[in-house]
Amino acid sequence: MTRRKAAPYLLLLPHILLSALFIAGLAAGLSQSLGVIPALGLTEPTLDYYKEAFTRPDMLRSVLYSLRIALISALIATGAGVGICAWLTISRRAHDRLVGLVRLPIAVPHVVVALLTVLVCSQNGLLARLACLCGLIDEQSQFPALLYDRAGVGVILAYVWKETPFIVYFVLALMANVSESLGQAAVNLGARPWRAFCRVTLPLCRNTILSGFLIIFVFALGAYELPFLLGATTPKALPVLAYIEYIHPDMRHRPYAMALNGIVILISVVSAMAYYALMRRKVTALERGDGA
Amino acid sequence: MRRKSVLSGALLAAGAAVILLPMAVMVIWVFTERWAWPDLWPQRFSLRAVREVLHRSGQLAGVLSSSVGISLAVAALSVIVGLMTARAVAAYDFPGRGLAVFFTSLPLMVPVTVFAMGVQVTFIRLGLNNTIHGVILAHLLYSLPYAVYLITDGMRALGTALEEQARVLGATGRRAFFRVTLPLLTPVLLAAFSMAYIVSFSQYFLTLLLGGGQVKTFTMVMVPYLQGGERNIASVYSVVFLAVTFLLLILFGRLARRWMGHGGGDFYG
Repeated sequence: MTRRKAAPYLLLLPHILLSALFIAGLAAGLSQSLGVIPALGLTEPTLDYYKEAFTRPDMLRSVLYSLRIALISALIATGAGVGICAWLTISRRAHDRLVGLVRLPIAVPHVVVALLTVLVCSQNGLLARLACLCGLIDEQSQFPALLYDRAGVGVILAYVWKETPFIVYFVLALMANVSESLGQAAVNLGARPWRAFCRVTLPLCRNTILSGFLIIFVFALGAYELPFLLGATTPKALPVLAYIEYIHPDMRHRPYAMALNGIVILISVVSAMAYYALMRRKVTALERGDGA
Repeated sequence: MRRKSVLSGALLAAGAAVILLPMAVMVIWVFTERWAWPDLWPQRFSLRAVREVLHRSGQLAGVLSSSVGISLAVAALSVIVGLMTARAVAAYDFPGRGLAVFFTSLPLMVPVTVFAMGVQVTFIRLGLNNTIHGVILAHLLYSLPYAVYLITDGMRALGTALEEQARVLGATGRRAFFRVTLPLLTPVLLAAFSMAYIVSFSQYFLTLLLGGGQVKTFTMVMVPYLQGGERNIASVYSVVFLAVTFLLLILFGRLARRWMGHGGGDFYG
């Protein structure tokens, strides 16, 4: 009996150890963001570094730049991914070869996505050459600067290329399943395919779509490669700025890095809370009895 | 109806172009010597970049083996730990279960940059900084959520009926799991293995910070060429490593399909 009770904990043991390491890393980062670095004789916790992060203009610009990139790219990728899923399920094309093609970018590392973006979107890349061929522009410099720009267009394009397939991967199996069973039932009862999709299949897939959105949003918020390789000199993305402060020879810069990381965590916690609130609303709707 | 199929054909072609064209341009760059504005096709081809990479073949072979080795190790560990965790969460009800579920997805909510900068002090203290073991451990933390998610999902789809049937027929719990449930889960385990491999293989920042330049993986070697504007050499490395990745993924897929062909596939999904 006791062995039976211990079984789940024994199975979880490796995961508990790994989680402990994970928490240790997070805790170390957070305590440093509060200015506690015993090695430097700093032991008094303070919120000064956070205050400074929110008042120093370059840091504030970084926060807004990162938020913008993450939000826009996650919105576009989720919209496009769900659109592709909808098309594949309604037209019943969700077969192996097509799904394999859509999934291709998932296996492409972000640094390679950066290379592809340079080859296609830079001012002497494929798009600029096509524009020249069509007579839209004559000189390279007439092509809009999509890379290393303040608006982060190149970074956003790269994220959309990479994350749209992830949303398809994440949502398609469930959506195809729901559409086959309940969506088909709605069609049999006389609903048009699109109406059945919007009123039955899509609402039932909502939580999974939200999870996918949250995963790629937080990822884009804290990822280093793409803004580092394709982003502007100013403003810098939060993780890029944090890393610069982190490797600064003067160790007293480290709390700034950690405070910037703390802001990333703060934003992801707030988004996770919004996510759970949305999930709960779904549950109460079901309990009222107007759901499936 | 006719017009609709033309439209969907056009959409399909556009989608395929967006995915495949950038990759095709990269393959062309592997053999490009001179590709001046505004031509759509290179003026001169050569094998210079390929030769340059092969010339340092010791480096290429070393990076290839350490990169693939690290990712295979991470994928194997992800499947083992992921299977144990998924089993605990899916088959048992115990105090703290909700917390365990929360922790399985936590790394998805904490970006790698935040974790890596925070954990480095701990890694130095544990002697893991700048070691292959440390890099494998860090990659594992970020591959595991995907493995746990896929395996839990697969277990839920499989249900418990068949394992219970085996118990009713007299099999011990261990035997029922290893002889009935595990074989049926194999396709899911291979999917989890593939995903964990991809996540590990794509890592840049974790390897940069915690490997400290001592652990050479594909991304570590490729990025300096990309920064230096050496597009053809960056393309050679990318094409070689992507080819290896896709070969491995196809192999895992074949294995999964062969397994499902031996019965079991009927029960799953």
